[in-house]
Amino acid sequence: MELFNNIDWAAIIPIIVPIIVIQLILLIIAIIDLCRIEKTNGPKWLWAIIILFVNLVGPILYFVIGRRNQ
Amino acid sequence: MNQWMVLFNKELVEMSRNFKWIWVPIVFILLAVKEPLTLHYMPQIIDALGGLPEGAVIEIPVPSASEVLIAILGQFNTLGVLIIVLTSMGIIAAERKSGVAAIILVKPVSYASFVTSKWTAAMLLMWVSYFIGYVASWYYVVILFEAVPFIDFFQSFLLNGIWLSFVLTMTIFINSFNKSPGVVGFISIAIIILLSLLSSLFSRWIEWSPSLLPTYTSTFLLNNEIPDNVLSAVIVAIIGMIILLICSISIFRRKELA
Repeated sequence: MELFNNIDWAAIIPIIVPIIVIQLILLIIAIIDLCRIEKTNGPKWLWAIIILFVNLVGPILYFVIGRRNQ
Repeated sequence: MNQWMVLFNKELVEMSRNFKWIWVPIVFILLAVKEPLTLHYMPQIIDALGGLPEGAVIEIPVPSASEVLIAILGQFNTLGVLIIVLTSMGIIAAERKSGVAAIILVKPVSYASFVTSKWTAAMLLMWVSYFIGYVASWYYVVILFEAVPFIDFFQSFLLNGIWLSFVLTMTIFINSFNKSPGVVGFISIAIIILLSLLSSLFSRWIEWSPSLLPTYTSTFLLNNEIPDNVLSAVIVAIIGMIILLICSISIFRRKELA
């Protein structure tokens, strides 16, 4: 807990928040698209896990590989 | 011209349906913004995670703003190039594989406008994302480090962007004679690595190589003066792009007619 108390939160929040928001936008768009798309390249539930849990790289992988409908 | 605009519009619509207009800029922003943040918080990160013995003192010099900009451009030139190749590797190849290209080219559409409309749309996407990412990182550099004059920022943006455009054009060129997007991506990455390697090994002899443009950009940012060879590298890059485009149109025509 000492680690967290040492951090000056007031200074960090305006720097960190935009990044988190951007990452969230990417994640949400990927999830919305996954729900709407008919068929993905590979099982859908696997892509859901990848998008949700693989930070940043997951949504990118989904857009590059997962959306390719044959 | 009218026909070209229709094809170009089709490309833009397809890109927005694929969400490319959203995720590519976001990825460029995240790539670029990561660098100033980690550089700025490096001492704290080492403190928190390093597990250094008590009393160990590490002096990390605070990097100057231009060093941070160089690091950001380095991100664009590695992971950014990868993203560019990944987004454009299927641009013609996938359409040929799925037969869409054949459907379009049955109509009286010239091969030149087919290829150049795709090229222009891909260039537009790349430059917009690259610009947004670089501006976002500039904001962080100004907040966390020191102010960088906009003119320096903009010149380095243009110089490095020419190399990225060259990469994009080459990917489209390889698209014209290969049907599988994966193979296209692989060949493009291999050629880019080879080019960068060769021109950094023999930089004395091939000072005009477009792949030296990132190096020239960092020299420019550090010394604040444009190196002598930049002009030749830029001209070679632009001529190279034109030649690659013409070649890809003619190869594509021959392949498609065969």
